[in-house]
Amino acid sequence: MEQLAYQYQTSQPISKRVHVGVVGSGDLEILMFPTDKSESTVKVRTGSDGFDKVWGNVLTRFFDRYPISADIVINDFGATPGVVYLRLTQAMEELADEK
Amino acid sequence: MKNSFVELNARERVNALLDTENGRELVGPFDQMIAPNLVAQGIVPESDDGIVVSLGTIGHKKVVVIAMEGSFQGGGIGEVSGAKIIAALSHALEENQNGHEIFPIIVLDTGGVRLQEANYGLLSISEIGNLIVALKKYVPVIGVVPGRVGSFGGMSITSALMSYLITTKKARVGLNGPEVIEQEAGVREFDSSDKDLIWNTIGARQRVQAQIIDELVTDSVESIKSAVLAAMLERKDSHRSENADFYLSLLDSLDLSKPMTIESYNQALIEHQAQSVDLPVITEQATPATTSVGYDWFQALTGLKNPNSTVSTVYYGDSKRFNEDVVVTAIVPDPKNPMYRVRDGEVGLVEGFRMAQILNHIYEADQNKAVKRPIVVVIDVPSQAYGYNEELIGIHVALANSAAAYAKLRQAGHPIIGVIVGNAISGAFLAHGLQSSRLIALNSPAISVQAMSKESASRITKRSIAEIEAAAEQVPSIAYDIRNYNKLGALYRFLEKITDQSTSITNVNAVISAVNDAIEDVRRTNDTMLTARYTNEIAVKMGRVETNKVQAKMNEEWNA
Repeated sequence: MEQLAYQYQTSQPISKRVHVGVVGSGDLEILMFPTDKSESTVKVRTGSDGFDKVWGNVLTRFFDRYPISADIVINDFGATPGVVYLRLTQAMEELADEK
Repeated sequence: MKNSFVELNARERVNALLDTENGRELVGPFDQMIAPNLVAQGIVPESDDGIVVSLGTIGHKKVVVIAMEGSFQGGGIGEVSGAKIIAALSHALEENQNGHEIFPIIVLDTGGVRLQEANYGLLSISEIGNLIVALKKYVPVIGVVPGRVGSFGGMSITSALMSYLITTKKARVGLNGPEVIEQEAGVREFDSSDKDLIWNTIGARQRVQAQIIDELVTDSVESIKSAVLAAMLERKDSHRSENADFYLSLLDSLDLSKPMTIESYNQALIEHQAQSVDLPVITEQATPATTSVGYDWFQALTGLKNPNSTVSTVYYGDSKRFNEDVVVTAIVPDPKNPMYRVRDGEVGLVEGFRMAQILNHIYEADQNKAVKRPIVVVIDVPSQAYGYNEELIGIHVALANSAAAYAKLRQAGHPIIGVIVGNAISGAFLAHGLQSSRLIALNSPAISVQAMSKESASRITKRSIAEIEAAAEQVPSIAYDIRNYNKLGALYRFLEKITDQSTSITNVNAVISAVNDAIEDVRRTNDTMLTARYTNEIAVKMGRVETNKVQAKMNEEWNA
């Protein structure tokens, strides 16, 4: 297991906390907590070591598109970058869902 | 499949069962109660530790729904996940005791004990089982096994303790997983690559025939929800864990010296009428009936000379060697046992049901007495029986009968004092020992306390034995020795100076004195449950830190 940390300067606060996904084979869970700061922190625990650059790329692409400010926790059990991005987008849908 | 329940994850399953949008999740993922034991072993944790607990209603009746996430570490039960279930069921019990009816619904998708936390899983599962036995006095405890992992290991013993079990045809229910039976007993006993054999033996369709599950429903949210609601409203209870006479007379009629065919077993089961079976009779003989540490301790603690039981593996006897009159129980090996998977002292079908029969007899004898006799449990059980016949008939049901009987006696006021003189392994320990009010152990290096042999644990967790041993340095709950076990807070008294297993006068006197103290402690505190396991000093300081954290969090959130 590897623990990675990332930080992004962002501008859009989120209004509530969200949780998506499961730490199952090839999958991951993502939690987003609101923050008062104009930045996002991302803490990743991943079972697949040696992919810190790939994580950086996926997250950079995500924050380029959605500059949300949140404290994010990711527990990953071997998800591919595509699945990671899908789950991040799913979290955004949860955020947009006003229920 | 449209509206499939099986395809949902644990949280979605809980929400699907509850009336629309009225669920409130307790100790959920945002609380970040993760399993430190997994992180310490380099395993990615999950924010809810694989357990979802929600309060809500089903058909406007108050429920607490508990679901295991089968995709996370096989739905295995570790300390945090176990503590979430224990805390939720403790609150549900308290509510029911106070006249506020609340139904526990448990969605099982689990391999049983999480091997990376091993002894925490066993402790938790015994505590969960104890709460289920207590809850059934008020409400039925409904189990659902949707399928994918199914229900295995200690959690299948738990499933057999539940009032009513609902599954889809995609579920499997058994004690020992096929790979583990193959590892322990050989490929001729069970070929884990033979999928047809597995499904025909432990798949839900056969399990209905075998009366191990109560109801088979189609895999849709609607049908599962309506089956759960019907079970609640009609207070369905199959009393599976109080069925010793039925099974003992059935077992008497079967030839289990060779593998049975599924058809012949089903036929025998349909035709069988329960008959009462005589209790074992224990008499003194000129020569020992068997040789084992447990047998020696049974002799020493009862004062019987060369006892011989009409049921060669199961012993019980009155003893005057303690401050109070007690009954001593033991399970011992019989090298000539026709049940060939039980020759080394394992707890098998006969052992589980027999122990239940004996304990129920004691329960009835003391039912109208003000003071209930203590039971002293001699623990020397190398494992549960790994075998094909055992799975076909349902060894987890046998073990549940024994565990339920110990729990019932304790809850009725019998102090149950377990003495670990030998090995205390897995399902055998759950059936015979882990329902003890207090546990006492010798400090012998020959004693192992564990959930699974290193070989099997290695195969299931895909780690080498060297890796498992290295991990045990960090995580005492996965170690095999009694000194590490003591660190969990599970022992009332660790007899550190007794470093062998012999029944020398000094050793026996020390054990008798510790048992007397334990009985007195139980009497003084009126303790009928298992909470002392995690509220004692060692447990609070180091052994069950996470359990206590989860309890505190659940207390905070339950009434919020």
